Amino acid sequence: MTEYEIAIEVDARGSFCPGPMMELIKMIRQAEVGEHIALLSSDEGTRTDVPAWLKKAKHELVEIINLEDHDKYIVKKLH
Amino acid sequence: MKNIVVVGGGFAGISVANKLVKKLRRKDAQVILIEPKEINIYEPQFVFWGFKNTPQKKFIKPVNKVLSGKVNWLRTTALKIDSEKRTIALANKDTLHYDYVVLATGAKMDIETVNAYDEDNIHHFYLLDATKKLQEALKNFKGGTIVISPTTVPYKCPPAPAEFTFVLDKFLRQKNLRDKTTIKYLYPLMRPYPEPRVSKKIQKYFDERGIEFGEFFNYETVDKNNQKIISLEGEEIDYDLLVLIPPHKGNKVIIESGLGDREGFVPADRFTLKVKNQDNMYAIGDCTDIPISKSGAAAHFASSALIKNLLLEIDGKEPTKKYNGFTVCFVVTSFRRSLLLVFNYKHPPIKIGLHNLLLYGLFKRSFKIVYFKALIKGYL
Repeated sequence: MTEYEIAIEVDARGSFCPGPMMELIKMIRQAEVGEHIALLSSDEGTRTDVPAWLKKAKHELVEIINLEDHDKYIVKKLH
Repeated sequence: MKNIVVVGGGFAGISVANKLVKKLRRKDAQVILIEPKEINIYEPQFVFWGFKNTPQKKFIKPVNKVLSGKVNWLRTTALKIDSEKRTIALANKDTLHYDYVVLATGAKMDIETVNAYDEDNIHHFYLLDATKKLQEALKNFKGGTIVISPTTVPYKCPPAPAEFTFVLDKFLRQKNLRDKTTIKYLYPLMRPYPEPRVSKKIQKYFDERGIEFGEFFNYETVDKNNQKIISLEGEEIDYDLLVLIPPHKGNKVIIESGLGDREGFVPADRFTLKVKNQDNMYAIGDCTDIPISKSGAAAHFASSALIKNLLLEIDGKEPTKKYNGFTVCFVVTSFRRSLLLVFNYKHPPIKIGLHNLLLYGLFKRSFKIVYFKALIKGYL
């Protein structure tokens, strides 16, 4: 597993689509290039929306950690 | 006597104030509304005003015609709310004490951030003056590329940009300009509407009408000199006329009072409408962060739980009434066609087609009357 330090963590649990993805986009705007962001989401739509957006926006989806009642998306800002 | 103060007199604030005075005995409590504006506008009409020279006065009423005379209306602005002292500093230099406060401050258009609406070919339709400017631009439009894009979500009335696009398509066909015009709809998400099922329907209409859809377009800036809109994702799209939905944020009083989230929206419990981590404070309508449409309809349906909870609290009981997120959304698909969506927190939208012209005409005509005669007055 890659070693990384989370610079920003966004807790979007309980928020429905598109809430979690828009939270991630806000954090991407705020983060510095190279920083890691953690997004917590319990919304199923996030599983398709976030990877698709990251592909288009050319940022890295480092990993998705499946937890008991939510997922944790680790994202690296690339540019 | 208890002071129940409603801050903000748009649809949500006026209708809640009107309902409260019906429920409260006047000797027990007085309802005070703080709102500097003297008029109330029927905002669902905004989407049409760019196209038609409809007399706007038909859709604007003075506040004193829709607000109950039993509400004490303060024609001033709330500057700062001190939730510990339970006071509100007003622009007229007074300080008002409250026992309970209902925040209904709405969403503010963040025009300054975009800093481009002074251009002749950059528009929106979320404020009265903007619709007049857009009307002039569309009247003089002779063909080219029209781009429609929300800067971000959430924004008031989720289907409004798509509705505008449908009506624009029809308008251009009526003017024989459609074959000279490319319409591009750029959206922050991977589909043209937040909810997937509604999105499919909208995409179907886009395909049938030759409207181009661009996914994952999150507004970054406008290059006014080269007439390009640029996204966070790195795309640059040319336009001749740009309809850019402004970013929305919370009202200044919410931000100044430290009651908002990063965008200035009030964190509220989606079921009870109580403001989180605050006592004696409720929030309703576009000012909240609750996950429903920012629309008058949503505020209307949420108001019943809010009022019941407030009355329970006044009686020293727990505010246990829950709003289930029920609302309706009227999606215009052309000048004379529409869909009606019905949904709540748990269930995705159910579509009810209003494609029968007579039914649609009756519904549309009656809705404005219902809005001014019943909904805002708190009769329903």
